Amino acid sequence: MANEIWVIVEQRDNKLKKVSFEILSQARKIADKIKAQVSAILMGYKVEGLANILGYYGAGQVFLCESDILKNYSNEGYSQIVADLAKEHQPLIILGPATAMGKDFLPKVAAKLNTGLASDCTFLDIDANGKLLLKKPIFAGKVIVDVSVSNSLQMASIRPNVLPISEPDESKQVQINKAEVKISTESIRAKVKEIIQSAKDKVDLTEAKVIVSGGRAMKSGDNFKILEELVGVLGESATVGASRAAVDSGFAPHDMQVGQTGKVVNPDLYIACGISGAIQHLAGMQTSKCIIAINKDPDAPIFQKANYGIVGDLFQVVPLLTQEIKKLKTEN
Amino acid sequence: MNVVVCLKQVPDTETKIQINPQKDGISDEGVKFVINPYDEYAIEQALRIKEKFGGEVTILCLGPDRATESIRTALAMGADKGVHLCDSAFEKLDSYATAKVLSKALKDIPFNIILLGKQAVDYDNSQVFSILAEMLNLPQVSVVIGLEISDDKTRLIAKREIEAGGLEVVESSLPAIIAAQKGLNEPRYASLPGIMKAKKKEIKKLALSDLGLSPDELKNKINMANFTFPPQRVAGKIIQGEAAEAVCELANLLHQEEKLI
Amino acid sequence: MEVTREIFWNVGAGLRTAVYILSAISLLFFIWGLIKRIRLWKIGKSENRYDKIGKRFSSFISFGLFHKRFFGDLYPGLMHFFIFWGFAILFWGTAIVMFQDDISSPLFGFFFFHSYFYLHFSLLLDISGLLLIVGMLMALFRRYAIRPTRLDSAFDDALVLVLLFLIALSGFLVEALRISALKPPFESWSVVGWNLSKLFSNLSQKSIQHLHLTVWWIHFLLALFFIGYLVYSKLLHIISSSANIFFRSFRPKGQIPAILDIENQETFGVDKVEQFTWKQLLDTDACTRCGRCQDNCPAYLSQKPLSPKKVNQDIKANLRAISKNLSAKQKQNDPGPALIGESVKEDEIWSCTTCYACHQACPVLIEHIDKIVDMRRNLVLMQSRFPNQLKTLFKNMETNYNPWAFGYQSRADWAKDLEIKTLREDKNVDMLYWVGCSGSFDDRNKKVSQALVKILKKAQINFGILGNEETCCGETARRAGNEYLSQILMQGNIEILNKYGVKKILVTCPHGYNTFKNEYPQFGGNFEVIHHTQLLWDLIRQGRLNLSAKYEKSIVYHDSCYLGRYNDIYDAPRKLLEKIGQIKPKEAKFSRSKSFCCGAGGGRMWMEETLGKRINQMRIEQLNLTGCETISTACPYCLTMLEDGTKEKSLTEKLCVRDIAELVAELI
Repeated sequence: MANEIWVIVEQRDNKLKKVSFEILSQARKIADKIKAQVSAILMGYKVEGLANILGYYGAGQVFLCESDILKNYSNEGYSQIVADLAKEHQPLIILGPATAMGKDFLPKVAAKLNTGLASDCTFLDIDANGKLLLKKPIFAGKVIVDVSVSNSLQMASIRPNVLPISEPDESKQVQINKAEVKISTESIRAKVKEIIQSAKDKVDLTEAKVIVSGGRAMKSGDNFKILEELVGVLGESATVGASRAAVDSGFAPHDMQVGQTGKVVNPDLYIACGISGAIQHLAGMQTSKCIIAINKDPDAPIFQKANYGIVGDLFQVVPLLTQEIKKLKTEN
Repeated sequence: MNVVVCLKQVPDTETKIQINPQKDGISDEGVKFVINPYDEYAIEQALRIKEKFGGEVTILCLGPDRATESIRTALAMGADKGVHLCDSAFEKLDSYATAKVLSKALKDIPFNIILLGKQAVDYDNSQVFSILAEMLNLPQVSVVIGLEISDDKTRLIAKREIEAGGLEVVESSLPAIIAAQKGLNEPRYASLPGIMKAKKKEIKKLALSDLGLSPDELKNKINMANFTFPPQRVAGKIIQGEAAEAVCELANLLHQEEKLI
Repeated sequence: MEVTREIFWNVGAGLRTAVYILSAISLLFFIWGLIKRIRLWKIGKSENRYDKIGKRFSSFISFGLFHKRFFGDLYPGLMHFFIFWGFAILFWGTAIVMFQDDISSPLFGFFFFHSYFYLHFSLLLDISGLLLIVGMLMALFRRYAIRPTRLDSAFDDALVLVLLFLIALSGFLVEALRISALKPPFESWSVVGWNLSKLFSNLSQKSIQHLHLTVWWIHFLLALFFIGYLVYSKLLHIISSSANIFFRSFRPKGQIPAILDIENQETFGVDKVEQFTWKQLLDTDACTRCGRCQDNCPAYLSQKPLSPKKVNQDIKANLRAISKNLSAKQKQNDPGPALIGESVKEDEIWSCTTCYACHQACPVLIEHIDKIVDMRRNLVLMQSRFPNQLKTLFKNMETNYNPWAFGYQSRADWAKDLEIKTLREDKNVDMLYWVGCSGSFDDRNKKVSQALVKILKKAQINFGILGNEETCCGETARRAGNEYLSQILMQGNIEILNKYGVKKILVTCPHGYNTFKNEYPQFGGNFEVIHHTQLLWDLIRQGRLNLSAKYEKSIVYHDSCYLGRYNDIYDAPRKLLEKIGQIKPKEAKFSRSKSFCCGAGGGRMWMEETLGKRINQMRIEQLNLTGCETISTACPYCLTMLEDGTKEKSLTEKLCVRDIAELVAELI
């Protein structure tokens, strides 16, 4: 087997997803422990320009798989390419992102390679014998387990927005290895016909570093404006979320729902406005590094889980906070 | 059109989880079991397909004895029959082994389309649909929130959720595997006559030997150990004072202490 | 001159035969119409309303004859009383005359229509006729001049009023003309006729007799028309409303009929009019569209599409429509309008909070709520068509035995640090404190549970709780139409309660109170039930609880529907509040049996209120008018809805909402 750790990176519309850097960073660290190489698998169409960036984050080599058949993602195409490459080069470890794309095709790769995939892991390390040390949450995060793969080829998918990203080293050069893409159009039976973008160019909730969420106390969809304004001063990777109560009341669409039955998020900063903190919501954001709660009710359960809380009317507090942060930013 | 729905019985999400003494699993005691919520969307969609095209809906379930109840619930909603894969050898199978057992059972069930939930809310692996598609050599579409089948029953168009609120529109040939996401439909509540009829519908029970599998073929590739509870968050501090003051202090804390802005 | 009058004077006894024949024809129309109508009621399912005959008669006397429910509104009450008694006496009076003239005198030689009997009889009938005319004028004025909103007017309404008025008027004219012609001195006893007769003093004898004959025939024919037309008009209520009172329900007010042997039934609930019972169909004909139900219905008053009167009338219209096609073949070709969807819309069915105000207001004891629940049962159990939030509700109750998705194992978490024993630990208790779903899981209502526990301990009451063996009592599921689920819950609870030999149950929730007391016996669960306001009043009254202080703020008490209207508990909470308050509690407009619903009953707590105004806000407005600072409640639903109402109306600075237990706990 080649002494390689492979990282399948994800790109969409010629932009690399942040999770790619997260996995690469950690892959580099564990590769150093066992003195292995880190290779990235980059698939798509006319994506060569992205290869160098992968080197800045730790890839020594990039398998560049380009073809116009790969203009759109397909699980049959992507899984075939990775499996073929793996059969040819026999890496030790294959890592990938636990994103919509990754969850779709990585198990297929594992099945093709007759190995197991440890999915949605939140912890990645390695022991001296080259065995991956993995942890993942189960039961919606209520329990954490240690996961191990018993086969010699180990596969794992990593949850986005958990692992830290190392500082990019732009001096690093990466070796580009153009791989032949031997996929026929007939072999792809499930084809992407079109992509419907959401109306706003939003940061994805599961990738955001800062989330400001509104609950039933927002009283209307229009009032979410004040949350958007706060998000506007909190940086590029900030976005608005909603509790289930707000979604059920029609104030926000379902794709904004944070919680057990919505999206599980893991931002650095989570500001909950007018959210009581029912268990189901907490399950979706309790791993946030810092939780702020703003609620009129001093007995709201969310104050039990928040790092900081303000008891007050969100319609007063949120705009004030927006102003205050704006002030701080201009001062600095 | 024949539809197979693969369903899993899982603990209700509100259940208090107790880790067993060996820390290699959770205790069943006092746990309420339900149909995996994502599988419910699959069942509902299957019933709608049957309503439009005719045919049969078969429920395929791998699980212990208690899983029969979940199959009955699906039958009460309108599915026609059930196949219950039940054997002590089927306990604690990983995704790969699960898919293997299911694929063996599916060899004897005629189908035009297989529906199941995108993930089971107990172990959250989100893999079975994909491995199953590979084993059965079928196209797959996952995280589906919209599904249309052509009138000649040869093709389907599915809408799937991707990040940042976007949607991918995927066209596929049939037969295929569809992994359902919340929002695909609104699962129906079983009517009382449905519940009564379900008691008489057939549930075939199959064991390891009935499927022609040997225990070796089911060795887990993925192992879980050391089940622990994550550290509980403790309450932080409530910032006192009038709104303007409190906000000022909060902003400073976030900037200087937490270094988040 | 003999003190009597000649029957058929001036008309001619020879016409007797003609009169009999015409009467017979009219009577035939009446009887035939009545038979058809009764047959129509009988296409409904059977129901035993033939027991307690004695009590039925006395109900007829108190509600029917003595107009028990009419005088809530004085004008229409008095008006109908006049019409009713005026007509009844005239009718029976005429019948007596007929009896004497056709039967007793010719066949038995018994002649009593003379002398003092005659005089008093004449006076009585004249006064009755006058009452009838006054009543008619009051009715015409009310319907066409005042035009109250609760009345809708159709041609039949006008016809009937004018008809009766003309019959009465023509009757007086006949009498006046006879008196004018014969001038019997003793006829001063017929006060109206006597005075009216003066109008004709200038006419010749011949003219008078001519006029008399004409008016007599008019009067006679109008009366015959009246009899023949009766069944086909609202006049039917003379029979149907009386019958409705007679066949009233003697079930406890808060008991909804169970679907018995549910596992072996094939259909559930009602979506075809013939699936109602005959009594329910009779209800629809007993309704005279008086509108009292509508005037008191919180759904109607908050502009929801529901009006109890309209539901009744729509069911009646549906019954009429399908009555043409009763044979199976006809039904196949033309099934008629759908009961649910065309006659009664789903929005109407789901808007009901089951507050009982309609039942309470109805003078003829129509049972509106049962029909709505029956239709809900069909929608839930047969069609699976109901508001989505109810599906979540049902699923939560099936899985975790409470309306929210809280794990059932955490049901007793509210009592964690309170050292309360569960019956599992020790079943020897004097009473079981049934905490209920809200008291166990809802943060605001947990405070009420904790307050009550503090009081119980202070009073050294030996009580226990079921802990996480307690499940939802089943009331909401039943009112929402899911009879199957509610029976499962009820029977499960009865098993547990009997396992521990529970005899006495203390509840804070009136819905739980109602269902334990009035519905659990349907499934063999018989327990003594006490509401916490009753217990607390007892404790205070007996001196077992001492108050260290009194409550300083002004209080207004809100009567919960299920405590007040359904179970007649009005005084215990009031006496309690009087005792604990420094200021005597005020009464809100619409209190006691006229209390206005908070909007949460009938499963509505779990549904979004998207139509019309918000019921809880209307109630807050009413309570706020008293100027009080504290609203006192005795129900977890009311507490939630009213507190939300104060928030929604931005009145939280002025008004606070507290359960009585919380108030007491602060003061001991």
